[in-house]
Amino acid sequence: MSDFRRMAATHEIPLGEMRSFDMGVYNIVIAHTDCGFFALRDECTHDSAAISDGELDDGEVVCARHGARFDLTTGAVKAPPALVPIDIYELKIDGEDILVRVDD
Amino acid sequence: MADIINNQKHDLSRFNDDYTAKYGFHDPVDYFHKGARGINHEVVEMISRMKKEPLWMTDRRHKALDIFLSKPTPDWGNTKLLGEIDYDNIYYFMKPIERQQDSWDDVPDYIKKTFDRLGIPEAEKRFLGGVSAQYESEVVYHSMQEDLKKQGIIFLDMDSGLREHPEIVEKYFGSVIPSTDNKFAALNTAAWSGGSFIYVPPGIEVRAPLQAYFRINAENMGQFERTLIIVDKGSRVHYIEGCTAPVYSTDSLHSAVVELIALEGAYIRYTTIQNWSRNIYNLVTKRAVAHRNATVEWVDGNLGSRLTMKYPCIQLVGEGARGEILSVAFAGVDQHQDAGAKVIHVASNTSSRITSKSISKDNGRTTYRGLVKIHKNAKNCKVSVECDALLIGEQARSDTYPTMEIDNDRVRVEHEARVSKVAEEQLFYLRSRGLTEDEARLLIVNGFMEPFTKELPLEYAVELNRLIALEMEGSIG
Amino acid sequence: MKQTELTYTLPDLASELLEGPTWLNRQRQSLRESFNSLPLPRRGLQLWRYTDPSRFMVETASNATSVNGTFKAARSAEQQHLAEGRLAGLVTDITGREIAVHGLDEAARSGLLVMALSEAAKSHHALIEPHLYSLVNAQTGKFEAMNGALWQDGVFIHVPDGVVIDKPLHLLRQIGGAGSSAFPRLLVVIGKNAEITLIDEYGGGPADDSAGFAYANGVVEIVADEDSRTRYIALQRLAAGTRFYQTHRARIARGAQMLTIPLAFGGTLSKQNFGVILDGPGAESEMRGLLFGSGQQHFDNHTLHHHASGQTRSKINFKVVLRDRALSAYTGLIRIEKSARGCEAYQENRNLLLNDGARVETIPELEILNEDVSCSHGATIGPIDPLLVFYLNSRGIPEREAVRMIVSGFVADTLKHVPEDIRERVAGFVEERLGNL
Repeated sequence: MSDFRRMAATHEIPLGEMRSFDMGVYNIVIAHTDCGFFALRDECTHDSAAISDGELDDGEVVCARHGARFDLTTGAVKAPPALVPIDIYELKIDGEDILVRVDD
Repeated sequence: MADIINNQKHDLSRFNDDYTAKYGFHDPVDYFHKGARGINHEVVEMISRMKKEPLWMTDRRHKALDIFLSKPTPDWGNTKLLGEIDYDNIYYFMKPIERQQDSWDDVPDYIKKTFDRLGIPEAEKRFLGGVSAQYESEVVYHSMQEDLKKQGIIFLDMDSGLREHPEIVEKYFGSVIPSTDNKFAALNTAAWSGGSFIYVPPGIEVRAPLQAYFRINAENMGQFERTLIIVDKGSRVHYIEGCTAPVYSTDSLHSAVVELIALEGAYIRYTTIQNWSRNIYNLVTKRAVAHRNATVEWVDGNLGSRLTMKYPCIQLVGEGARGEILSVAFAGVDQHQDAGAKVIHVASNTSSRITSKSISKDNGRTTYRGLVKIHKNAKNCKVSVECDALLIGEQARSDTYPTMEIDNDRVRVEHEARVSKVAEEQLFYLRSRGLTEDEARLLIVNGFMEPFTKELPLEYAVELNRLIALEMEGSIG
Repeated sequence: MKQTELTYTLPDLASELLEGPTWLNRQRQSLRESFNSLPLPRRGLQLWRYTDPSRFMVETASNATSVNGTFKAARSAEQQHLAEGRLAGLVTDITGREIAVHGLDEAARSGLLVMALSEAAKSHHALIEPHLYSLVNAQTGKFEAMNGALWQDGVFIHVPDGVVIDKPLHLLRQIGGAGSSAFPRLLVVIGKNAEITLIDEYGGGPADDSAGFAYANGVVEIVADEDSRTRYIALQRLAAGTRFYQTHRARIARGAQMLTIPLAFGGTLSKQNFGVILDGPGAESEMRGLLFGSGQQHFDNHTLHHHASGQTRSKINFKVVLRDRALSAYTGLIRIEKSARGCEAYQENRNLLLNDGARVETIPELEILNEDVSCSHGATIGPIDPLLVFYLNSRGIPEREAVRMIVSGFVADTLKHVPEDIRERVAGFVEERLGNL
């Protein structure tokens, strides 16, 4: 189990927006909604598009390329053409810091 | 046209201000009078009203139109030809039986010649040539419907399917191919008309293949057919559409959507032979979902059209599911067959096989675009892909772009492709046995296509062979 | 919400880059302009389907010149080989800035020319100008334009007509430390009937990216004249904290033969593009690639065999071994032009996955515009055959040893073609990666 890594400050991701973070060979996207912050793998399971290029809508992220939707909390598929859930990462807020547990 | 309007019972209670506000138009009926070309929210509204659809379908159409308008034309594939499509110059709401052709004289010569050579009967000729509006025998249709009804099988055109079984349609329509999937799926979702709706209840084996009730049916030759087939647990069905004889249409854009759902243990085989006339752009999205222990087979023959883009897809989402795609493409003068196959393994212990045979002749061009995707939790999957291309003549062209994305190690994936011309040695051998060069070449081409032709019902196989013979002769087009 | 598009332009070229002859400076300026006007390749399309192009965007060529322990050891080892008469010469290239040529005397007598590219641009203008940027330039892509504008010094090799160099020439390239970027460049011009073996070895970089990645964006251009025979071996053994981008293009003329061996083991992100253009009847090209990925390495490789002329033959065998969570993306294109009759082209890509978690993407592509062709390709993906392991177990060979044997067998026929000079080391890299499996 790896440690939590500091990704950004809470004010760096405005409400309703997403930011993508370069983890070396893949990206993690952090979304900010009314329900808080969520961390997911920035790669749609349908055709590998960056979901950070998409939109947030009602607790879901909508991929810009073909309209697939994923639940921000669980990563579950909410609309086709995706078939497989997207990886999610444990996230916690420590003061002003957003921390994410990243697998190694 | 005026007659039709007068005879329609307009449901004016459905005309509500929301549409004005949302889509910015006032009276859709006026629009219809103008016989306008092009697609917009008025046209979509008219299509839905004429068919008396439930509001949820109307709403989906409008949303899909917005998606169609916002998506760009694909920047891959034959972008030159795709760029030639003039969306504003197409009639989107003509009912298929109201297709208006001027006269037999307008039907291209190469089509007429093919009819003669294939021995197509007079009445069929006129229908296929778009000159006469209908070709069906009421009596035969009704007796077949009686048989099916007894078994609880629903086999209707899609418009009727929506009318009579809205709950089933609402559940499955767009569940496999959402309107956001691609520009042409969005267009089809907005403007769809005709196509087949089939539901087979559990535990039934449909013995005879279901055909769009003869080989020819106006509802299945529309521009924007929408087909939805649901086969419930343990049932089996074979559906056939199309015909090898060329079909002439002045509508140059054909964009169908076919969704198949094979529930647990079900079997679906969907056979298509398409030979659209050479002015047509045939852009189809076909996709199937196979649940646990289900099997889906696409048998796909692409002969005509100016440009076909079609990649039948099977998503294996339940353990033990199996998929097979067998496709043949023949590209002659000025044609581009851009076809392929896609299999997505989501569940473990699934297997698939893709066999693609393509032939390019004269300056024809065939392209194979394939995808084999195995997700990380789909263990013990086995896939084999074989793509063969035959080139005939100096100008022929063949491209192969097979993609394999494998995310776990418990797999066996094998892919093989070959491109060649008709082998000299084979020709020489056959000629030494007394065949002429043409006869020898034809024999080799038939042998090349044999894995496909042997899967067709006899009458199709016979006609396909005759058609290939004509194409090889070069006396057509 | 959408990420902003990464926009970046190259500022005015540093004065030290503009110390060359006018024709070269003009080319650099033009390439800089091309870079600035070319958009970043679109993610998800064709060659960039599996790798995010923004990962290769670097600020500018930086000044870090680092020579670490590994490099010194490698250099000593090669100098030893040189002393033993096993090499025709040794060239060291430190972060694309410092080029040094060692031990060439004997080979130089035959006419072999090996020197720094910036020098050669001045002194051997007639050899350089027609060939530099002829195969890799702005048309190839944005990152190639970047190298074209920013390379500081490179290596130039010329083998005159009829000259046969029977011992390999070894290039030892070192890239810099964290946060640095290097733009190595190599131009090789081989004369009619000449023969040469080149070992092009890339090493260096920080052990991890905790202080940032080290970047290298390299270009190799090889022009081989009629009936020449060339072996080009690219050995990539960079440290983990590196991101490596390389484009290689060779054009071979009538009757020429070329063997290209791409070997890749290092870096966190490595994208290499090898291409051979067969430009005259009788030309033959063979490629034998091998990569072994471990940890979270991401390899993205592209090979091209372009048959511009009829009566040419090509063959490619690309092997991939992966463990842990490594990823290999491979796109191999065979293209046969309309006018190219009577060509033969074969391609095979075999992928061996040693555990769950490794990922393979492979796209063997064909674009065939002439019917008179014999062309096929194949790809396989799978784990080690459990039956084979069982068989070895039953012969008293423990699992780990069995896996080692099977992988050695898998890579054996590729290693066979690797020059003796580095063969043992390459086998060692494979060994090392099998490690604690």
